Amino acid sequence: MFYNYLKITLRNLRKHPAYTFINIAGLAIGVACCMLIMLFVSYELSYDRWNTNAERIVRPVVEIKFGGAHMHLAVVGSTVGPDVQRDFPEVQANCRFRQYGSYLVKRDGDGQQNIREENIVTADSSFFEVFPVKLLEGDARKCLTQPNSMVLSKSRAEKYFGSTQLAMGSTLVLENEERRQVTGVFEDIPENTHFKIDFILAMNGNREVQEDSPLWATSNNFQTYLLLRPGTDKAAFESKFTAYSKKKVNETAQRIFGQDISKLEASGQYVHYTLQPISSIHLHSDRLVEFQANGSIQHVWIFSAIALFVLLIACINFMNLTTARSAHRSREIGVRKVLGSPRGALIRQFLGESLILSGIAVGLAVILAALAMPWFAELTSRPVHMPWSSPVFWLAIVTGIGLVGLLAGIYPAFFLSAFEPVKTLKGEQGNRAGGGRLRSALVVFQFSTAIALIIATGLVYKQLNFIQQKKLGFQKEQVLILEDAYALGDATQAFKNEVQKFPAVESATYSSYLPVPSSRSDQTYSKIREFREDQSVNMQNWRVDQDYLKTIGLELVAGRFFDPEKFASDSSAIVLNETAARLFGFADQPIGGKVYSHIGQADGQTRPENFNELTVIGVVKDFHFSSLRNNIGALSLHLGRSTGLLSIRYRATDTKQLIADLEEQWKKTAPGQPFRYSFMDESFAQTYATEQRIGKIAGIFGLLAILVSCLGLFGLATYTAERRTKEIGIRRVLGATTSGIVGLLSKDFLKLVFIALLVATPLAWYFMNNWLENFAYRTEIQWWVFALAGILAVVIAFLTVSFQSIKAALTNPVDSLRSE
Amino acid sequence: MIKTTNLSKVYRTEEVETTALNEVDLEIKEGEFVSVMGPSGCGKSTLLNVLGMIDSPSGGDYHFMGEEVGRLSERKRSNVRKHNLGFVFQSFNLIDELTVYENVELPMLYTKVPAAERKQRVEELLEGMNIMHRRNHFPQQLSGGQQQRVAVARAIVNRPKLILADEPTGNLDSANGDEVMKILSQLNSEGTTILMVTHSQYCAEFGNRIIRMLDGQVVTENLVKQYL
Repeated sequence: MFYNYLKITLRNLRKHPAYTFINIAGLAIGVACCMLIMLFVSYELSYDRWNTNAERIVRPVVEIKFGGAHMHLAVVGSTVGPDVQRDFPEVQANCRFRQYGSYLVKRDGDGQQNIREENIVTADSSFFEVFPVKLLEGDARKCLTQPNSMVLSKSRAEKYFGSTQLAMGSTLVLENEERRQVTGVFEDIPENTHFKIDFILAMNGNREVQEDSPLWATSNNFQTYLLLRPGTDKAAFESKFTAYSKKKVNETAQRIFGQDISKLEASGQYVHYTLQPISSIHLHSDRLVEFQANGSIQHVWIFSAIALFVLLIACINFMNLTTARSAHRSREIGVRKVLGSPRGALIRQFLGESLILSGIAVGLAVILAALAMPWFAELTSRPVHMPWSSPVFWLAIVTGIGLVGLLAGIYPAFFLSAFEPVKTLKGEQGNRAGGGRLRSALVVFQFSTAIALIIATGLVYKQLNFIQQKKLGFQKEQVLILEDAYALGDATQAFKNEVQKFPAVESATYSSYLPVPSSRSDQTYSKIREFREDQSVNMQNWRVDQDYLKTIGLELVAGRFFDPEKFASDSSAIVLNETAARLFGFADQPIGGKVYSHIGQADGQTRPENFNELTVIGVVKDFHFSSLRNNIGALSLHLGRSTGLLSIRYRATDTKQLIADLEEQWKKTAPGQPFRYSFMDESFAQTYATEQRIGKIAGIFGLLAILVSCLGLFGLATYTAERRTKEIGIRRVLGATTSGIVGLLSKDFLKLVFIALLVATPLAWYFMNNWLENFAYRTEIQWWVFALAGILAVVIAFLTVSFQSIKAALTNPVDSLRSE
Repeated sequence: MIKTTNLSKVYRTEEVETTALNEVDLEIKEGEFVSVMGPSGCGKSTLLNVLGMIDSPSGGDYHFMGEEVGRLSERKRSNVRKHNLGFVFQSFNLIDELTVYENVELPMLYTKVPAAERKQRVEELLEGMNIMHRRNHFPQQLSGGQQQRVAVARAIVNRPKLILADEPTGNLDSANGDEVMKILSQLNSEGTTILMVTHSQYCAEFGNRIIRMLDGQVVTENLVKQYL
């Protein structure tokens, strides 16, 4: 019997190629989308699962609200880890990391080329105890104990030394000066980790580490991980840790402010420590000073929902087309029933058919997905690939075929098998193409989803455009950023002087701090020689040179900027942004105001004589130095050496020539150092890479959703025209015009698209309003976005339907009537 | 074999109630060849459908082989149907996507006849109907007469006790019609009971009894001349 069903199915597919194409293409596109997104989602969910200790590792993090700043930090002070391990028997080990950004790395010896390396951290020697990373060479307990020792990943060991054995005992030079001996080589850490590390420098000898400092909530620079002993009750440990951290914060407050933490808390300021399980970091943690930009559970949900909807839309096509063209099958159903087929057998037959179709579609989808994979990996910026060798993948494929087959086939199977044999044989059933109302509802669902996705895309792009157009308070265009400028060493100033002589260059400035992704540093300043919650402001402190203002294009609203002529006095001068001036309460007279910064002491005590006095010489207009997701915070500029980046403002000119000239000058001044540059506006756009990605994905899948919906609509229109052939013939004989017939046939479908627009609009508005809440600065949701999406959907739907309608309307009326 | 008492069938739509069968009492014995005649809309086909258990009566009793079947569930009716009844329709009702061979084989799939026996029976019948050479053709590729011979083959392949034929010659020219009628007669002479609806007096007379219907009722029953 199965063979009989199979034959019927395949012959039906061959006999109605258009129908077959619509069903299979629609399902294949839907399944391919779903497959790609599911691979992405499963990759996101796989983060840190390779870590066999993951269940036992937690990360203490801190939320600080103080001095006008509100920060969620992924880092804590250097004493937190050791303190907790000492005081809690549950903690087996702790490992701290300190990141200093990227490094120039080269092999020891003359004529070696520097290479810029990103994944470098300084870490405690307990690294290999806490993390189950396999050490290929060296002794796990000793390799990170000595100052100036380092361990490498296998790939880097091979890159620099050819083999892991040769790497052992060799020396690498960092930043042209720091020499480190390789004492171990570890297996590369999998890509799906929230910290990608290739070089680990021994923490021993790091001057920032203050083992015995009694201060907890200061110098938050260390990502710290605690390995709990097996069997530890995590909830109980967390509550003990919370109580313990409160005590520590209170001790710190006593020392710094000379008062109890409860007083600070009364004024709404606080320091809260919590623990994060390591496995939840990638998707649930978006804090300052993460190892790298993490993923987002919100995106996982959004993507999953999109995948599900596109798949549903494709399944609905199948349901609609199958029930709509039931007339073609009604005789077969009748005959089978007369011959004694029970209903169950028919249900099985039709489910079998949808399973076969689903199988073909999923097979095609695998090919489509494999073809789209490189592009998709780039879009999601994840190294996703087709897991050909994974049994789970194939199991998922088989399950997918079953699920899609059932989802798409179950309704038609029950619908068709319920036909009454007498009616089908008389030709009564099927011609009415029952289930019309449900079919309409499903079309409305399809188009609502597609329209909502298009509206969402429109609004994401509108927001991105808003960001691009927003007056940022600095001029990001025509600025080229030269990276690793400190590699110039003693020639730093000479290089800048040379560059400024280029005719195309307007000005140049050294600073590692830019209003695009770059270094950040913050500190608490006070208006008096002590820390008091009503006198202190936490703000960014950026070291810049005197050309910063004009090169970056900031606007001075009061006072002056740093002056090379007044270097001596300007070294204790400070320029604030408007927000900082306001938070300090300088009102109309900021110039000449005094602010104080504290120089940390070993005993953690704050004394008036340890405060450094700074004089406000100028105020710059607020500019967006961080993402528009956030409000503008307090910021101060100081005159100081910070030579990480050289920003160059250039005139509209031949940019290629400028870069060539710069490179030539660079090679002359700093031979052997890598020449790297970027453009400030591109770097700015990078900040919104996530949003751009979301926009692109919503857009692409929105269009696919529309495409698949239209495939279905095309199919439905075909069958409607077919069913109404006689009516069309009669109308034509009675004098109906072609346009009248087209209107008649299109009207019903367009009505559905209109209803879909009404359904989609409030839904899209609600979700996009929520999404825009992520931004402190956001575009308005305007009615025309909805109108545009609606018009687009209506036009596409009309074109789809009218093709069939026009064909039907142009048929010779005699033919229409004869076919009855 | 068949005995009905007060058998009735009423079709209802929202506004109209149509009585298709009005308290029909009828008895058909095993081995009979009964023709049903009457004007269009008199209820002939309805009677055939109800007796063929592809439609259920609205009232009255229907005994088939001594068993009350009028109120059986669809599942049970379908079971009785596939083992005991064969159908021949005016419009053949072959499945377009199956070949001649497969169409004839189909009923045996539902009665779970073993494959080897299926093959043998189909080939015997196709030989007998003289359409063996067309075994791999699809219905659309055959003439009307050939299609109806396939349909008859399909109806008898399970060796039913009763064949229900609804205007089996209605779509055929006289030569082809004659041929089909001969086949039916032959089957009847071999012991199969036949109930046939027809408009044609000529065809009706192949049977041994003619029932005339009007407005859902049996008005006369006559034995055909040669049996008088």
